[in-house]
Amino acid sequence: MPSVTFDHVRKQFGDVTIVEDFNLHVPDGELLVLVGGSGSGKSTLLRMVAGLDAVSSGTIRIDDRDITHLAPRDRDVAMVFQDYALYPHLTVRENLSLGLTLRKVPKPEIARRVSWAGGMLGLDALLDRKPKQLSGGQRQRVAMGRAMVREPLVFLFDEPLSNLDAGLRAQMRIEIGGLQRRLSTTTIYVTHDQVEAMTLGDRIVVLANGQIQQVGRPIELYRSPINRFVAGFIGTPPMNFIEGRLDGDAGVAFVADGVRLALGGDRMPASSSAPVTLGIRPEDIVLVSGALGADESAGARLTGKVVLVERLGGTSHVHFDVGSHRLMAAVSHETLPAVDVMIEVSVPSARVHLFGADGIALARGV
Amino acid sequence: MKRGARWALYALLALAALTFIYPFLWMAASTFKPAGDVGTLALIPTDVTLDNYRTMWSRAPFGRALLNSVLVATTITASVLVFGSITAYAMARLTFPGRRALNLATMAVLLVPGQLTLIPLYTLIVQLGWIDSYAALIVPYLFNATAILMLRQFFLQIPQSLIDSARMDGMSELRILFTIFWPLARPALAIVAIFTFMGSWNEVLWPLLVVRDQQIMTLPQLLTVFALGGGAGTLGVSLAAAMVLVVPVVVAYMFLQRYFIESMAGAGVKG
Repeated sequence: MPSVTFDHVRKQFGDVTIVEDFNLHVPDGELLVLVGGSGSGKSTLLRMVAGLDAVSSGTIRIDDRDITHLAPRDRDVAMVFQDYALYPHLTVRENLSLGLTLRKVPKPEIARRVSWAGGMLGLDALLDRKPKQLSGGQRQRVAMGRAMVREPLVFLFDEPLSNLDAGLRAQMRIEIGGLQRRLSTTTIYVTHDQVEAMTLGDRIVVLANGQIQQVGRPIELYRSPINRFVAGFIGTPPMNFIEGRLDGDAGVAFVADGVRLALGGDRMPASSSAPVTLGIRPEDIVLVSGALGADESAGARLTGKVVLVERLGGTSHVHFDVGSHRLMAAVSHETLPAVDVMIEVSVPSARVHLFGADGIALARGV
Repeated sequence: MKRGARWALYALLALAALTFIYPFLWMAASTFKPAGDVGTLALIPTDVTLDNYRTMWSRAPFGRALLNSVLVATTITASVLVFGSITAYAMARLTFPGRRALNLATMAVLLVPGQLTLIPLYTLIVQLGWIDSYAALIVPYLFNATAILMLRQFFLQIPQSLIDSARMDGMSELRILFTIFWPLARPALAIVAIFTFMGSWNEVLWPLLVVRDQQIMTLPQLLTVFALGGGAGTLGVSLAAAMVLVVPVVVAYMFLQRYFIESMAGAGVKG
């Protein structure tokens, strides 16, 4: 069964290192998402698996077969491109079957696979059209169909949804996820969109500057980001950060301009002189309305002034200033505070993340 | 625009069109006139005769010259398209040492006027013993820098992902060029084909230098020798020979004009 293994893979263009010592094992049937900003090296990694970019050093294996230096056509991988890359002068049917014809697959088998993929993706009625006559979503399906009929060992997706509008993107995301589960083909999926990463990935690799920041299941990255980059990258709306330091005088507390948050426990994760960044997700901040709740110890309190309220229907984003810090809470209250009003919020200390000066998450002694 | 003004404009444009088309129509009509009527300005011959064509055909090997021209022009056009696009593909889409130098060298070739290379090229042909041969007419034109650069420019606009996708589908580079790039580059190929074919078809100077045998002569060369050498005898016969020269180009243009107009128009809006 096909698994993909990266072993000390490095990629360099001239003096610039794009991917630095990349090691990873993608087990059979897994949908692995590579996520990161532009220039993080995620697409380069994918292109190296496809054989479209040369590997500078290290090896890539599918199962035990070293594919590092094989031609793209000999790797038995299929790729779905961001701009679909359909041949404009060929019909959908020809687009689907070309790769098989070139591999000298017998005609009846090609017909069987084309109708199988066409049926699965709802392309039956479109087989004799040219790509120009298709909508964006339909083209995307053809691109996926072209990969499927190859029945490859590994699927590669290079930001396949970024050319679609928001509604279609959500729909196609669900389709891709469903398709991958049904085919259970090992898949590497590249995106810059962390929502796609969270919803699709069995595991996610967060990349920055060609290096792995963290690998894990979506919920692990969300709950326990290993550093400040991952914390800020995973989760929408993004995590709030406050620069400050720790104070251990009366139990451990986080202190910054206008902020003092009791964190509970008595073991200091960092010395009181070291700069520390506190992170708290907007959805973990609780608006305290009126009288204080019974369980005061569950959350430290902050007081701030509301500067903006974004009503999104279900949840709303409340932006407020605490000292010189702008924070945001995502709340689902029916009644929202007005702008310029002072509010009190509760910050559950268990949900607070602390990062050292180097951005690495600090172990909490709670 | 007022109705009257519009009519005036149309009349003016029609007049301008007439000044362009009239000489050609007159030439075409005159070839069918008897010798005595050729001098008149009339567009419709009173007595239609094919005598001019018969005379022309009997006095010099025009049939052979027509075949020679077709052979030379099609060979050159096919070569310029095939080898030109192979070179253009490499220059546009492959990375190899010296690519930049090759680009610059190709562009530098454009700066050298044809007249400058005429004498050295002639000496070369003499040394090779190619005088009075098809090789002398064809070989120097098998590659064309303008065509390479035009095709390269067009190939640069084709998305990289199509090449990537074709490579993953298992195509070789040549196959990508001929099965993916060629269908997409039809307008560019058509315009290169038209310019190359017309240039080769109308070429007189070079054949005059390297060919003296009437059996190897191309149509325009034979026509020039025939008309200037006094072989034609009458104006009607000279005009008939000119018609034979021009008709194939007009026919070719009619077939390819859609691409011709497209690529002329496309040049302005593609970015």
